[in-house]
Amino acid sequence: MSGSNRLAGLTARPKDTGPADVRKVDEVGEARGFVDRTPRKKPGRKPSPRTHQLHPKVFPGVGEAIAAEAERRGITQGQLVEEMWDVYANKVGIGEQG
Amino acid sequence: MPVIVMASPKGGVGKSTCAVLLASEFARMGADVTALDCDPNKSLTRWASHGLPKGVTLHSDIGRSEIVTTIKKADGDGKIVIVDLEGVASQLVSRAISQADLVIVPMQPTALDAEIGSEALALVREEEEALSRTIRHAVVLTKTSAAVKSRVQKELENQLRGAGIDMIEPSLVARAAFSELFAYGGDLTSMLNNPEIVTGGKVDKALLNATAFTEAVYERLK
Repeated sequence: MSGSNRLAGLTARPKDTGPADVRKVDEVGEARGFVDRTPRKKPGRKPSPRTHQLHPKVFPGVGEAIAAEAERRGITQGQLVEEMWDVYANKVGIGEQG
Repeated sequence: MPVIVMASPKGGVGKSTCAVLLASEFARMGADVTALDCDPNKSLTRWASHGLPKGVTLHSDIGRSEIVTTIKKADGDGKIVIVDLEGVASQLVSRAISQADLVIVPMQPTALDAEIGSEALALVREEEEALSRTIRHAVVLTKTSAAVKSRVQKELENQLRGAGIDMIEPSLVARAAFSELFAYGGDLTSMLNNPEIVTGGKVDKALLNATAFTEAVYERLK
């Protein structure tokens, strides 16, 4: 077997590639058990990267005010505490959060 | 140039081995070969990670939604596209077959391989009817004995021929060099010429077998 001259005689042949043709092929395949087996994505939400827990006891009025503010802004109490920490850290000059 | 698709819903029949042998041998003939690895086991990608022969380009992780467009993009004058599929009955397989000029169904000479492999042959025929196009298809027996043809193999060949199925001759013999290609990359010629590569088998015999197999496939593409 030698040389590319022999291969030069082999030319590209047009094929049906339109959506209707693909649908037709899918139908034929499905009837014979050749079904879509693409792996599905895992359902549910992704785990949060916020893994550290704080459980300080505060006066009821302060706790209620924090909960109400987080609720009003549509964020978690943890995110609000992070923002509070940023403000505090900037004020006393102890750098970035975390 | 032609699109050659390796198809069988059964795993472990030799689809990836056929794909690697054809890709490397056609590249050796001077063809510009594009190999598409559509198998989640990534056998072709593992082979390529050790070094691809000159003239072969590999695309990995081709899924059901990209298969038709990827084949179309890779197909063209002066190019041969070789598609290695997963060993399951899936839409990816049926879509790839629809784009083929030649479908090769490898099977070991066992009743189970023949039974499951025949599903692929039946699918090709149904797609031919649906698309009003002839899709050439053939069976190649794999992992056959180099010494003797077993009674089961003879019976299977007779049954397949009796059913009008095109059989590629020669079959692919069980050669250590074929499986070791996945560990060393490249092609059988580089394996033969590299004294550092130690194989458990006869590389020269494997090369002769692969060359004759590729020649038989070439005859079906003309």
